[in-house]
Amino acid sequence: MILQKLLTLAWREIYVTFTDRSLLLILVVTPLVLATIIGSAFSGLIGAGGGRDVPVSDVSTVIVNQDQGLADGTNHGQIFIDLLVPPADLSPEAANAESILFELTNAVTLDDPEAAREGVSTGAYVVAIIIPPDFSERIGVSQDDMTIEPTTIEVIGNESAPISANVVTMVVRSIANDIAAGNITIASTIEALIDRATSDLGFGMEFLAANNSGEFNPDFDAAFTTAAASITIEQQTVSGDVVGFNPLVTFGSAQAVFFMTFTALYGVASLLDDRKDGTLQRLIMSPTPRWVILIGKIIGTFVTCVLQVSLLIIGLAVIGILLQGEVTFIWGNNPLGVFAVVLAVAFAGSGIGVFVSGIVKTQEQSNIVVTVIAMVFGILGGAFFTVQGIPIIRDLTQLTPNYWAVDAFTRLSQLDNTIGLNLIVLVALGAAFFTAGLFLASRRLEF
Amino acid sequence: MTTSTTMVEVRGLAKQFKAANGTPFFAVKDVDLDIRKGEIYSLLGPNGAGKTTTISMIGGLIAPTRGDAKIGGYSITKQPLDAKRLLGVVPQEIALYPTLTARQNLEFFGRMYGMSGAALKSRVDEVLEFIDLTDKQNERVDKFSGGMKRRVNIGIGLLHKPQLMYMDEPTVGIDPQNRRRILDTVLRMRDEFGMTVLYTSHLMEEVQEISDRVGIMDHGEIMAIGTVGELIQKIGEEDMLIFRVGTQSVSSVQLERLKTVEGVTSVTYEQTAKAANGEGNGSLPIDGRVVARAKRGRQALPDLIGLANADGIEIQSVEVREPDLEAVFLSLTGRALRD
Repeated sequence: MILQKLLTLAWREIYVTFTDRSLLLILVVTPLVLATIIGSAFSGLIGAGGGRDVPVSDVSTVIVNQDQGLADGTNHGQIFIDLLVPPADLSPEAANAESILFELTNAVTLDDPEAAREGVSTGAYVVAIIIPPDFSERIGVSQDDMTIEPTTIEVIGNESAPISANVVTMVVRSIANDIAAGNITIASTIEALIDRATSDLGFGMEFLAANNSGEFNPDFDAAFTTAAASITIEQQTVSGDVVGFNPLVTFGSAQAVFFMTFTALYGVASLLDDRKDGTLQRLIMSPTPRWVILIGKIIGTFVTCVLQVSLLIIGLAVIGILLQGEVTFIWGNNPLGVFAVVLAVAFAGSGIGVFVSGIVKTQEQSNIVVTVIAMVFGILGGAFFTVQGIPIIRDLTQLTPNYWAVDAFTRLSQLDNTIGLNLIVLVALGAAFFTAGLFLASRRLEF
Repeated sequence: MTTSTTMVEVRGLAKQFKAANGTPFFAVKDVDLDIRKGEIYSLLGPNGAGKTTTISMIGGLIAPTRGDAKIGGYSITKQPLDAKRLLGVVPQEIALYPTLTARQNLEFFGRMYGMSGAALKSRVDEVLEFIDLTDKQNERVDKFSGGMKRRVNIGIGLLHKPQLMYMDEPTVGIDPQNRRRILDTVLRMRDEFGMTVLYTSHLMEEVQEISDRVGIMDHGEIMAIGTVGELIQKIGEEDMLIFRVGTQSVSSVQLERLKTVEGVTSVTYEQTAKAANGEGNGSLPIDGRVVARAKRGRQALPDLIGLANADGIEIQSVEVREPDLEAVFLSLTGRALRD
């Protein structure tokens, strides 16, 4: 009998939410659209605009250039250092003025790749760029050999700052593409030839004769057409998993949790609406214990949140497929883990909802408190922009369920299944708020 | 003591609230009442008399400060769920979920009374027919007129065939046609289903029409209980004849002469200040009236008018008030129900 009543109460909450078209537009369609817009904007940061509008700076970056170079002294790995590491004799201000990339990466160099990895792991660096020893050898072109052999530059990002890592990855990819496309490579090769010709008179005479006779006639077209896809930029987590960072995941999950917060907070606080329209009084005067009425509403809100986030996760996955043009699951390869996070964050949100319904006394108070909490959590949770680069705010984010849920979704999408702590924190947050909130909320059922 | 014929037994029921300034006050003061099975019992009193608070305690919505109420022998404070199973509720406000249809509202609350399956479906069909909304059952109630919502509101109370129906001012704010329909429904509940009805109203006419017994309530207290006839008897069943005489003064000698008319038991002269009309020197005009009480007022009326004219009393208007609950309330409390 009690179970039937709990299910009936929960059913009403769910039914009312999912049969209200206006509400569905707000709860499901809006976050999908926002996530798509914001995600698309961030995924196109380094595009035709050349990154002039990059909203991040001073991404702590370390470059390990293991490139041994060519026999003639050419070292293509050095190009990354020249472009990303400000000269020591320039002040930071002057360096920033000289190149947007100096301002963006604030890069330093290290010799030991393991030290760089360790630095990223401890948070000393956000990104490490590791250039392989045979980089120049593989991509270098000469008059006799215009082919570029495949090679890989590793970009290792700290998991707490996926956007920064993604931005740097895109910068590295852009530089590498330029090198691979030939314009930098060939220019540096010719520069090396000229240097040698001016320092070695015999070679200089041969070079001049070959040039005059047409014997020196490198196939620049070959470089431009075959080289572009030969350098792989592999973005990794510290644990070494190869990842494809997707802004849709970060902003999508942040938007999903942000909008779910509204559902959770308003859901339980709607006790005030029920009280105002008299249905709560009618329920209390039926043979239904008050705690059943409260728990039924909470279950309804919880299930509504689970369904809402699940719909958003599925919707974002579909959008991811449409944007990428291939059938891939943007949330990683652990759907059970994704569902566990959905359950945990819905539980945490419902718990906070119970607490809020206990502290507000009127609908007006409810509207203000719910909006403030949801907005603050949303901002800290990265629903609109990343706040991971702001030291004090970065710590505050960890007080919100949004952070732990978004972090868990991001980890799963990067094939990192270490979400145990996230689940524990979310469940603990929910349990703590439930415990405090149940007592407070039960007062809303007193007349 | 509860007997086999008693449906509701209330003893020493009281409720204390705090005023806005923090001062405690009793909205209901040690109320005792008994409602018999199968009767329509009305609580009559002006707004703020304590009717809703009283029945809210009987219905288990509000916890009493002291005292207790029993429904069918079950204490509302000690066995609330058993007591509530016998109770159907029609609250004063329309307590429906606006985005659900009429049928969905009925089914939802039916389940909250423990009904399910085919029995629930069949009962909902019956109730929809009873409230004459079968053809509108699948429309959302927020599209309904006020009268239709009231009928769904009543239908929910009827769903589980309660032994006691609690109806709190169910005719407030609706048109005469729907009011008539609701009053007929209340009578059918008693006559066809044998239900006991606890009805509250501040409208003397409807209470007088439908009630088997009436409890007159004011300032949180039951002032009198009885059938309409019994209550009227308490004030002597006299008609009240009111002669308006404007600003004219009437002497005690003139009043004594009027009292000599056969059947007249008392004659008084009252002066009340009329509302200011904004004219004159600022003093309020006086509305004087002579009030005569008589066993058969209409028979005494011609003689009273004749004697007054002969005695130089210029009558501006005459009103005959036969004894009713309004008069009873006036007699008991010194003020009108609508004050």
